Amino acid sequence: MIEFNEVGLRYGRGPEVLRDLTFAISPGSFHFLTGASGAGKTTLLRLLLLSLSPTRGTIHMFGEDVSVLDQEKRLRLRRRIGIVFQEFRLLDHLTTFENVALPLRVRGEPESAYRANVEELLEWVGLGDRMAVNPALLSGGEKQRAAIARAVIAKPELLLADEPTGNVDPDLSQRLLHLFVELNRMGTTIVLATHARDFLKRFDFPRLELTKDGFSING
Amino acid sequence: MADTKIRLRPAKRGFAIVPERLVTGRTLMFLIAIMTFLSSVTLGAVLLVQQSAVGWSADIGRQVTIQIMARPGEVMASNLRSAVALAEATPGVASTRVLSEAEGQALLEPWFGTGFDLSALSIPRLIVVNLSDPKGADIDQLAINLTNAVPGASLDTHDLWRTQLNSMAGTIVVSGLLVFALIVAATVLAVIFSTLGTMASNREIVDVLHFIGASNRFIAGEFQSRFLAIGLQGGILGGGAALVFFFTAGFITGSVLPVQNATQISVFFGQFLPGLYGLFGLVAVVLVIAGLTGLTSRVTVHRFLNRISV
Ligand SMILES: Nc1ncnc2c1ncn2[C@@H]1O[C@H](COP(=O)(O)OP(=O)(O)OP(=O)(O)O)[C@@H](O)[C@H]1O
Ligand SMILES: [Mg+2]
Repeated sequence: MIEFNEVGLRYGRGPEVLRDLTFAISPGSFHFLTGASGAGKTTLLRLLLLSLSPTRGTIHMFGEDVSVLDQEKRLRLRRRIGIVFQEFRLLDHLTTFENVALPLRVRGEPESAYRANVEELLEWVGLGDRMAVNPALLSGGEKQRAAIARAVIAKPELLLADEPTGNVDPDLSQRLLHLFVELNRMGTTIVLATHARDFLKRFDFPRLELTKDGFSING
Repeated sequence: MADTKIRLRPAKRGFAIVPERLVTGRTLMFLIAIMTFLSSVTLGAVLLVQQSAVGWSADIGRQVTIQIMARPGEVMASNLRSAVALAEATPGVASTRVLSEAEGQALLEPWFGTGFDLSALSIPRLIVVNLSDPKGADIDQLAINLTNAVPGASLDTHDLWRTQLNSMAGTIVVSGLLVFALIVAATVLAVIFSTLGTMASNREIVDVLHFIGASNRFIAGEFQSRFLAIGLQGGILGGGAALVFFFTAGFITGSVLPVQNATQISVFFGQFLPGLYGLFGLVAVVLVIAGLTGLTSRVTVHRFLNRISV
């Protein structure tokens, strides 16, 4: 599903943030992405989201060489990916419901077709009574759940999540992690960036580790 | 007008993604209102000058004047009689009227003042010839007959005046159209500027939409329909203001000025009230400006999206 070959990336003229990344991710797998702050986790996820192009090496996603994508193909691939941003990036002029419904709305689906689904998902992440509220008024953990709901509403094949449990208490973070595991069981491929050591201990998923010395894949 | 009400796509497509109150929306709306007002007034003035010129030209064409200079040894009274006879024998002439000496002097008063004794100047006597059929009347023949038969007589067809009037009106019309073109160009530039500003300040929305799978077409459509709505609001506001302006101007010329002056002004300036054609013109200006705003912002949004292409 994803193949990185000798990938390197630098921002502008800066130093290489990512160096010599070679790995493959198969469909239906679950990977943790770890590394110290500033190690490049978000950068790697941006490569996977097609929002950055590598300065070195090649990336194949869903069988396509991403360096030669035209706009139309890039759009098609993006629609198979869901993303939870580290800083959520919810749109403050829309309600929580509208934010979560957005991926379906931009695909041209009429509201009548998705309203029930969106409401059900919001209930499920515990935001049933916060649907009409602006995300700006939500707590950190509520924002996080709204961002996760938005990432999964369109049933992506690949789910990228950047510290999706960073802002919440241990209980909720357990529940959210179980949500990801559940999605993975139903077939979604998941790459989840996290610092949380207890997750890493509890679940025996393979790890993409970004360290000062370079990159390793464990497990 | 509530800006939420202009929705160019069916409401069932879902909630509006672009904020109802764009940062630059209100500024742009007023700018377009002003531009529409200026365009309407400019075009109104052009129309007024053009129609008035046509009208005056036709009025003047319906009259010619015979001048008879006093010559030593000639009897003015008999010369006047023969000139009148010649004129009335000409086909297409409806009537003639000999201006008295006093009337002739009165015409010169504006130039010399009332106290001036004009009798010493031996001013020419005038005969006003009204034509029933300006095209069919053989004015050239009348002129030849007059010079042959009446010493000191000449015919003034006001041609010089009409030519000057027409060329002046033409100049005003061309200048007006140039001004109109410049206003339109300035509007386009302002819309481009404002669209780019709006897109830049809503960059987060654009990026998030991209990341969750929105096509450029979709994003452009969302923004462009907002700009079209802003263009329509501005256009309607400006067009309405222009309408009020035209009515007020018509009202002032109609009632504030003394009756005599007012008729004179409406003779000179035609009717300020735009009439049915004027109203159509106004609606056309509003639609053109709104359409232009929509089109310009559409092109600008597309160029912006292609350039950032995340
Ligand atoms: N847009 C950018 N331009 C230039 N440098 C950047 C940019 N984004 C990130 N960097 C740099 O790249 C490096 C990796 O950043 P990145 O955000 O990927 O780290 P991270 O692993 O996600 O960190 P954290 O755990 O704190 O979120 C950092 O040194 C950062 O300063
Ligand atoms: Mg990060």
